[in-house]
Amino acid sequence: MIADKLTDPVCGPFWRAAQERRLELCWCTQCDAAVWYPLAHCPRCAAPTTWRRLSGRASLHSWSEVLLPINPAFPEPYITALVVPEEALGTRLVTQLVDCAAADLRCDMPLAVCFRPLVGQEPDGCLAPVFKPA
Amino acid sequence: MQSLDQLKRRSVTPDWGASTALADVSGQTAIAGIGETPHTGASGRTTKAMALLAVERAIADAGLEPGDIDGLMVGFGIEDQLTPDDFRAHFQTGNPLWYNTQGGAMVWAATCMHTAAQAIAAGQATHVVNAFAVDWATRRTEGRLAHSEYHADEPMKAHFELPYGWFPQPVYFATFARRHMHEHGTTEAQLGALPVAFRRHANGHPDAVMKDRTLSLEDYLHRPYLASPFRVEDCCMISDGAGAFVITAAERARHLRHRPVIAEGVGHGRIHGAPYIAQQGDITSTPQVFSAPWAYAMAEVGPLDLDVIAVYDCFSMTALMQIEDLGFCGKGEGGSFVQDNRLHFDRPRQQGGIPCNTHGGFLSHAYTLGISHVIELVKQLRGTAPNQVRDAELAAYAGFTADEASTLILRRGDR
Ligand SMILES: [Zn+2]
Repeated sequence: MIADKLTDPVCGPFWRAAQERRLELCWCTQCDAAVWYPLAHCPRCAAPTTWRRLSGRASLHSWSEVLLPINPAFPEPYITALVVPEEALGTRLVTQLVDCAAADLRCDMPLAVCFRPLVGQEPDGCLAPVFKPA
Repeated sequence: MQSLDQLKRRSVTPDWGASTALADVSGQTAIAGIGETPHTGASGRTTKAMALLAVERAIADAGLEPGDIDGLMVGFGIEDQLTPDDFRAHFQTGNPLWYNTQGGAMVWAATCMHTAAQAIAAGQATHVVNAFAVDWATRRTEGRLAHSEYHADEPMKAHFELPYGWFPQPVYFATFARRHMHEHGTTEAQLGALPVAFRRHANGHPDAVMKDRTLSLEDYLHRPYLASPFRVEDCCMISDGAGAFVITAAERARHLRHRPVIAEGVGHGRIHGAPYIAQQGDITSTPQVFSAPWAYAMAEVGPLDLDVIAVYDCFSMTALMQIEDLGFCGKGEGGSFVQDNRLHFDRPRQQGGIPCNTHGGFLSHAYTLGISHVIELVKQLRGTAPNQVRDAELAAYAGFTADEASTLILRRGDR
């Protein structure tokens, strides 16, 4: 869907890090806080932003299991979620949950990052940060 | 009651959005005429043909002639809405039209009353018609309804939401609903009380798409999930149809055909960081928390004064959360509040209810994105609604676009 996912000047660092199995977020070192979604400059203090590697530990803010056809590009069932990284409590990553069943899930449970190719993503085999129960 | 000045000085709570500083237009304008097309599934009708029929009916309902109309409001961002040339060509009139695209449906079905009040006060128009039409049922059948276009055009959604299948809108609000259930103990049976109440209203409404299909709570609970915890019944229909209403000065409206319906209060609010609702400070609330207080202050009323409401029910949970955010109960109490038939048309406020979406809403009447919600409230305040709330005098519409919300408080006027 995004031809330039890896080379995009603002968003590319997230995807390039993921190919090396690192979860990175855009960060303001002046404020020592996440800037998400990423921007070249911090919206609070206007300092240039950088990228920071996170532990990959997160909590499950909420989730939904898609069970009927709603997105032609995404064969159901799949579980999509909002997760909160432990280093950035005001930030939510949109993601998918893997290696679990909906019955195992509860909000605020601990999660850990892992890296998988997503259906229909360019370039073929491009890894994405996803999460599983910790 | 807080004055607008007091409200402006008050520190903003919560901190994840803000009210829009709308000028006080209380009592200045009225809705004098209403018109709708039939609401249907895929019909092959065009938006312009439907809008013109609704406009024609609204003008006639007001007791006016097309030549009396000198203002036209429509929505932007929805395909093929009316233009002044369309209006003049159809009605064979040559009069100039004040034209404004901050009208139509969604949040603008409320804020159009503020925009029109200012235009009328400035002498730019006398009789303004606000119109909205949608042909999405036809588009869907023809494969022209592209859910992902909006998301793919937003670069951050395209990079960080789309790849994970976190779209379209049912997935957003299913996720938000899950969090509301977790934080506040809201149950699926409580969520189901909304589609069941709205279906009962549609069953008593001759114009509702779902007028012949009943839905019990037991039926609801046996339906499969679409995107858990939502079932298809929690989600708006897609339909073809149009609505329109005529706005004029309140004093002028007293001399037209029907009892006027006066705009007493208008509010609007927006989240910070729009349009990225994944990052909204509290996903168990809506920007209605920033909009409703402004409208209440302008109208000098509170939620307990309202006789009937129409809430933007794109999903059951967005209606439930807005009922909380309108102040009918505390945050998190909406699940128990909506039980016990409290939203039904025959449980008036005197009996602890608040009749809601008495036409059936998006879940069961039609998906006209809110203009039919306002039209239904006008019928309620005239006393001519199919599911009439006894002695309805004061009503509110709650509009919504995910990152924005609006509120319109309407009062039954005197002749
Ligand atoms: Zn900063």
